[in-house]
Amino acid sequence: MAEHVRITRNRREFLTHAFGGFGALAFADLLMRNEARAATLSGNPLAPRPPEMPDKAKAKAVVFLFMAGGPSHLDTFDPKPLLTKLNGQKRPAEFGEAKYQFVTGNAKLLASKRTFKKYGKSGIEVSDLLPHTASMIDDIAVIRSVHGDMVVHSAAQYQLFTGRIIPGFPSMGAWTLYGLGSESESLPGYVVMPDPHGALEAGQPMYSNGFLPAIYQPTMFRPGAKPVLNLDLPQGTTRDQRIKTLDLIKQLDRADMNPGDAELEARLNAYDLAFRMQTEAPEIFNLSTESQQTLEMYGIGKPQTDDFGRRLLLTRRLIEKGVRFVCPVSGGGPGNMQWDAHDDIEENHIRMASQTDQPIAALLKDLKQRGLLDSTLVVWGGEFGRSPESQGSKGRDHHNLGFTMWMAGGGVKGGQVIGATDAIGLKAIESPYHIRDVHTTILNQLGLNQDVLSYLHQGRKERLTEIRGEVIKQIV
Amino acid sequence: MSLVIASATFLLAAASSIAPLGKYTAAEHREWSFQPRLHPAVPSFSDPADKAFAKTAVDAFVLARMKKEGLAPAPEADRATLIRRVTFDLTGLPPTPKEVDAFVKDRSAKAWEKVVDRLLASEHYGEHWGQHWLDVVRYSDTDGYEYDTHRPDAWRYRDYVIRAFNNDKPYDLFIQQQVAGDEIAPKQCAQAAHGPLCASEEDEMLIAAGFNRLGPVRKNAGNQQVASSRNEQLTEMTNIVGAAILGVTLGCSRCHDHKFDPFRQSDYYRMQGFFAAAQPYDLIQASAEEQKAWQEKAAPIQKEMMAVRKEIAAHKDGSGVTELQKKLDDLEDEMPPALPSIFTVRDDFSNRTEIHVLARGDYQNKGDRVAMRVPGIFLPPDTPELPENTPKPRVELAKWLTSPDNPLTARVMVNRIWQYHFGRGIVGTPNDFGRMGEAPTNPELLDYLANEFVASGWSVKHMQKLILMSNTYRQSSHAAKAALDKDPDGRYVERFPRQRLEAEEIRDAMLAVAGDLNWKAGGAPVMVPIDKSLVDALYKPSQWQPSKDTAEYDRRSVYLIAKRNLELPFMQVFDAPDMQVSCPRREVSTHAPQALEMLNGDLANQQAAIFAARLRKEAGRSHRRQIELAYKLAAGRAPKPAEMQAALKFLAAKTPDEESRAREQFALAMFNLNAFLYVN
Repeated sequence: MAEHVRITRNRREFLTHAFGGFGALAFADLLMRNEARAATLSGNPLAPRPPEMPDKAKAKAVVFLFMAGGPSHLDTFDPKPLLTKLNGQKRPAEFGEAKYQFVTGNAKLLASKRTFKKYGKSGIEVSDLLPHTASMIDDIAVIRSVHGDMVVHSAAQYQLFTGRIIPGFPSMGAWTLYGLGSESESLPGYVVMPDPHGALEAGQPMYSNGFLPAIYQPTMFRPGAKPVLNLDLPQGTTRDQRIKTLDLIKQLDRADMNPGDAELEARLNAYDLAFRMQTEAPEIFNLSTESQQTLEMYGIGKPQTDDFGRRLLLTRRLIEKGVRFVCPVSGGGPGNMQWDAHDDIEENHIRMASQTDQPIAALLKDLKQRGLLDSTLVVWGGEFGRSPESQGSKGRDHHNLGFTMWMAGGGVKGGQVIGATDAIGLKAIESPYHIRDVHTTILNQLGLNQDVLSYLHQGRKERLTEIRGEVIKQIV
Repeated sequence: MSLVIASATFLLAAASSIAPLGKYTAAEHREWSFQPRLHPAVPSFSDPADKAFAKTAVDAFVLARMKKEGLAPAPEADRATLIRRVTFDLTGLPPTPKEVDAFVKDRSAKAWEKVVDRLLASEHYGEHWGQHWLDVVRYSDTDGYEYDTHRPDAWRYRDYVIRAFNNDKPYDLFIQQQVAGDEIAPKQCAQAAHGPLCASEEDEMLIAAGFNRLGPVRKNAGNQQVASSRNEQLTEMTNIVGAAILGVTLGCSRCHDHKFDPFRQSDYYRMQGFFAAAQPYDLIQASAEEQKAWQEKAAPIQKEMMAVRKEIAAHKDGSGVTELQKKLDDLEDEMPPALPSIFTVRDDFSNRTEIHVLARGDYQNKGDRVAMRVPGIFLPPDTPELPENTPKPRVELAKWLTSPDNPLTARVMVNRIWQYHFGRGIVGTPNDFGRMGEAPTNPELLDYLANEFVASGWSVKHMQKLILMSNTYRQSSHAAKAALDKDPDGRYVERFPRQRLEAEEIRDAMLAVAGDLNWKAGGAPVMVPIDKSLVDALYKPSQWQPSKDTAEYDRRSVYLIAKRNLELPFMQVFDAPDMQVSCPRREVSTHAPQALEMLNGDLANQQAAIFAARLRKEAGRSHRRQIELAYKLAAGRAPKPAEMQAALKFLAAKTPDEESRAREQFALAMFNLNAFLYVN
């Protein structure tokens, strides 16, 4: 759909209730959505909103560990003995057809060089690429039967984040913030931490608020000394000076407004929040308050895990402070700096896994020992998986017909495998779940109903998943 | 309803595979927006106060409606408020203190009309109203998606739009040129291939037809899936006509019959049929010598690129393509800058895409074949399709779109005009006049305006003058409490709605107030320096090349590059649209990152320093005079006593150093005031 009817809402009402802050709230829609529920809230618009389906709500926050470029299910969570047997042969006809990005014909099946072992009480098989994650397998629900519609990065990334294969629509993070508000006043409610190696194919529009108001936009924690844009005072401006200037703004505004003008009060409030953020947000980046043990657990200080470890420790700190949606990204820049292993699956995946495996396990452990895992849904996956056929002699191409994602925490029943691909890992054949079902399940764990969580336009609903998704019932 | 279509008697030969024509229920035909416009009588009043307000037909319709709600009009706003309101409204810029003074002092009966006429004639009018249209058609200087390739010549369309508004190009012509300009002026396409530059009238129409290419374009490495890309292209072309011109969600019927409106899936694909021959086309604008010189530089690189592409294709198992793709990207960077061209479309009938109804919109899932026809709800029952070989298909479509009898086109545009003046349309959902859209708050007024629009020769400025000369427009924005309670939304226009400036207006006004605005109009889009982390976040950071001439950084916002994958943070926090999909109305949100941008951002701080220097230079040493000037420039009025007191206290300083710093902070504060950011 090239067009989208932008919501036209009662602006006054919106502003009255949108008291700004990174985690600002728009009550007007809620009122329209669910008057009874909103009525209990009308006192304090800054309060986070309770979910629409309190009985279903298990998670208060989401961490989406985005493995950009598409990690291979065949070398991580989905062992295929037959693939090993058929190594170097053409795909037997009974498995059907698949369209890849590069591989067009004559491609031969490629066995995984990884060894798989059973882990935990559940005995789920995980490859030796991910021993740390494997140690947490009893908390993890491995979904081996995910599929999507697109086999090229940009469109598949849009689908993974927004449910649509075209740009211009709000992402999961924006919807989560829209549905639940933010529990943190001084921190952004929706944070993306891109990989310092560079950009992804779908670019900025993938994470965006789309047609939702700018309140729901993601805050990018960029690599470097100044992770958040405009958070620092301009050079030469002191804190005292800034306080005086803010005071002047308030005095001048008050001199020019009617008392009780909610719209303009909201603006003044936004300035207070901005100031508070400026003071409090930098503290979140200061990891020196963490114990040596914690730093080591995340692999901070070790060259290969230092960067991702820092970002995941920061993730935990954000979750602790009530941030709703955090998306640390593994992979960025040229394909081989992502999980996009066209040329050499071994070289690429050993490197990518060694950067992420330990920090991810540490995050799960850390959340668990702090009692936060139950209320934090952790989701792992890329925009697609990789082909059973080899690209060249040792690479794998994109593959969207069957691949693995996993979920942990947030009310998900760990230690189980859901669904299956066929014997060579080509297609999801048992309990297949579309990406939209993953979205629906995430929303469900947050207590949000996909049919209600829509940007309302006189009853016309823009559903996150576009087409209605199913909750993955086995894991909730 | 449509003579053009109804008179056609052709049918496709392969009858067996043709999709049946849609049938529509009586209820579907009764939907208000598909009905012919009515000619409502202008209400009259006997009460003297009512009579005084209802000076114009617009006022009479508005008054009648608000009386139904038990509301009464607000008093007239004061003159300083009025001139600031109308100046931003028409040009997106603040009035100068001189302009404010002249109007406040002008006692003639025509004072207001003079201001309105002056602003409608201003060259800056098109820069502002053009932006509204650019929002609607999701104009951008780049492709979007993975490569976000720049479209170095798209700006000609942007300038065309600005010119069209400035020259008050009749709206029917404006639409015809955009939908079918290349078909109206086809001679030039053939001629230009042999070298000579196009004549400007003809150019104009080719540039306008760039409208059909404004949507995002997906390119990707590897298998190009040509059919899929073509399908996406046709989808963009078709859907935007529904959204921007007809104000209906036609795009919803791409995958299935529309759930709410009378558009069958076959209707959708028959609309797509009008575009089946249209292909993107870059018409080179360079002399034969220039083209030759370019060819000489480009040919070896192109040859090498061709070789690499062949190599990629030869690697059926996909080996080594990452390397090769990178080689290809690097070679592309080596290409000489593209020759100037016109970004347009042309028909290629030999390559016409066969249009089928696609199950679930999937290009691989072809159903019945269709030719071309406008949606059946607008036609007599069983009106046949136009044949696939119709010589100028988009001209046929454009004729129907701009037919005086078309029930939607005029209503949709006058509603947009009304919305941009009053912040809210008569129909609150400007891209959805269907059943799921809002019903008009004042249907009589809407039809009156639409009739007037058509009768005036589709003159946008005529409509604007009609609105601006009304008492309705000149009402105060200070609403009585009763009015606020009854109509919090301002649906019945019993007051003028206070409005926050849009992102571009805020930036332009800062530059104007500081005296730093570069007034240059038109031309290639400007890239400004931005935080390195933003550039690094691009897939191809080399795409961001700030203009060498630093004076360019102070151009009006409409001339800054509209890059799909890098929206300027300043624009983004103030709710500028993302240019991926049509934006009929901008959101207005209030949140802390706006405060951070306006307090800590480079733009605000740079302009504050320049503004402070201006105050010192033009008002002299006196703080009092500096404050007076600051308010006149930024708020269009003199400071109130309490404001003066607070500002004086703030500026009082001991050392010259302190004083200049305080003045800069004061200037920064001015940009952050409601008095600056809102229009009353």
